[in-house]
Amino acid sequence: MTDILRSERAAEELAAEHGVGDPFAAAIRAARMAMIVTDAHQPDHPIIFANDAFLALTGYQRDEVIGRNCRFLQGPGTDPAAIETLRRAVADGEDATLDILNYRKDGTTFWNALTLSPVRGKSGRIDYFFGSQLNISDKKRAEFELGDARDRLEAAVEARTADLTQALQQKTALLHEVDHRVKNNLQLISSLLLLQNRRVTDPAVKGSLRGMLERVSAIATVHRRLFQSDDVERFDVSAFVRDLVGDMVGSARRDDIKVRLDLERVDIAASKAAPLALVISELFSNALRHAFPPEAMNGRPGEIFVGITRQDEEFRIEIADDGVGLEYSASSGGFGLTIVQLLCQQLKARTETTPADPGTRVVVRLPVNGGHR
Amino acid sequence: MTARPLDVLIVEDEVLLATELEFLVEEIGCHSVGLAMSSDEAMALASDLHPDLALVDVHLRDGPTGVEVARTIHDDCGGVALFMTANVKRLPDDFAGACGVIGKPYSEYGVKTALTYLTVCLREGLAPGPPPLGLELSPAYAERWGLTARPQAVQA
Repeated sequence: MTDILRSERAAEELAAEHGVGDPFAAAIRAARMAMIVTDAHQPDHPIIFANDAFLALTGYQRDEVIGRNCRFLQGPGTDPAAIETLRRAVADGEDATLDILNYRKDGTTFWNALTLSPVRGKSGRIDYFFGSQLNISDKKRAEFELGDARDRLEAAVEARTADLTQALQQKTALLHEVDHRVKNNLQLISSLLLLQNRRVTDPAVKGSLRGMLERVSAIATVHRRLFQSDDVERFDVSAFVRDLVGDMVGSARRDDIKVRLDLERVDIAASKAAPLALVISELFSNALRHAFPPEAMNGRPGEIFVGITRQDEEFRIEIADDGVGLEYSASSGGFGLTIVQLLCQQLKARTETTPADPGTRVVVRLPVNGGHR
Repeated sequence: MTARPLDVLIVEDEVLLATELEFLVEEIGCHSVGLAMSSDEAMALASDLHPDLALVDVHLRDGPTGVEVARTIHDDCGGVALFMTANVKRLPDDFAGACGVIGKPYSEYGVKTALTYLTVCLREGLAPGPPPLGLELSPAYAERWGLTARPQAVQA
């Protein structure tokens, strides 16, 4: 007996068992889901039943599928791993559910959500395998399209991120370049003033040049400090004062003047750093140069106090000396004080100069945010 | 001990900075032996003159070649380099063999104090104390001059 004959015989037996009156058989024959039954007793498990939905899905005639193993649905695009899953399920007599790419008679493909399960007889032996096929091509296409769209989006995001990273690197390089140039130019200005100071002999001109040099140095100290911190928006006034005061006292060569600092860490906006630095530099320089004329000190050591505290909504900056006091000191001609007044106006700060007995105390009150009410 | 003045080579492409620096070097009792504005000039002068100390800007006429100059002075000329640059953060971790860096913009007083301090370090082989404000020593030289974490016994 040929295989085809044997399958036809098995098909007839199955049909005879589940005749016209069998509601389950009728349901399967008329179901919209494609379904097949294979004969587990024959070698290679040929199909012995296929419903109309299966024939409609695959494009085959009934006599073209009966007696054949259903691997004719597979093609070059079918995943070998899916085929292996099927083979193993049949060999082990187990259920299998998987999505597999199948081919119609005309060569077109469809995605098949396949469920395969063994059907056991009364003895427990596997008599049949039951397979149901659902065309999920639309769902698969949507999945693929979604995947494609996600890949494209990821690629676009990656490209944009690369662009932005490069732009940021360029901006950072530019920032470093500008910072470098600002520092070099400040150095250049200092050098110019120092060089000219070496040439001139007039003490008044020398004094003016020294004053300008101090102001440039104060701004230079700000710039050195500005880029040292990680936050370029904020400026630590106490660190600046420490640098500035050390430098000014050192270069004044007045070992008889001691400096006392009481500095609370106070951050101001970077945009206010240079004007405030000039104010502090001017006031400190004034004390250093005018409060302690050697001829009036009679060997008495002098002290300059610099204190910074935050009081409510104000920063309080105090510069006090125990020198000869306002009335006795030879003022520097007023340019320094004019600078202080103008910059305090700009900073919306108030200054107050009082006798400290002995000496002079200047207090600058700078609003933490915005101006004085 | 002989107090021979230190021979100092200035490597700086801004001529006004270099000129003023020469004055400062002389004022603290060192001897300015020459000025180089490019890396070629710097290396030629360094190998001819064998300065004790070279003050090296990172950006020279031929680009950011100061690091290479410092390394050559350290490796081949037996001298000590000191960076003077506005780009302190961009120096290599080992300072290219240089003993330290003074950040620009520096002050007249800051440079004089730093160079006076380095003169003592170079002569004595030992630091007289922590480096002054504005001078940062390289880790290798800080150790060489006895400024490691372990407190150094005071030498009378």
